[in-house]
Amino acid sequence: MADRQDTSLSGLTENEAREFHAIFVQSFVVYTVIAIIAHFLVWMWRPWFPGPRGYAQQLLDTATTAVSYLV
Amino acid sequence: MWRIWLIFDPRRVLVGLATFLLILALLIHFILLGTDRFNWIEGPRPAAVTQQASPMPPSR
Repeated sequence: MADRQDTSLSGLTENEAREFHAIFVQSFVVYTVIAIIAHFLVWMWRPWFPGPRGYAQQLLDTATTAVSYLV
Repeated sequence: MWRIWLIFDPRRVLVGLATFLLILALLIHFILLGTDRFNWIEGPRPAAVTQQASPMPPSR
């Protein structure tokens, strides 16, 4: 069992853990960026937090109404 | 932070994480499909459309 002392609880060496960690962090960042883009697109499509007067009145609607009064 | 992989087996973590994310994603997508506002396939149900249209303020 002398060789068991070289390995950790998971069986990885320190170098293996570092190598896996680099890949893991990189994958996490890619996944998160894709998720942020997806959330941005969905928010552009339909925001999911209604204003005080419900979904009918949005900030953009106010701006559109103001512009329509001016024009 | 990388020392976490000395404690947790990466294979189990990856399988667990993938399972968790898949179930969570499926759950959220089905919840959204069950709503009127965020159903991107069929849109709002007809009853919900009339309900949404009726309380519109009169146009000036």
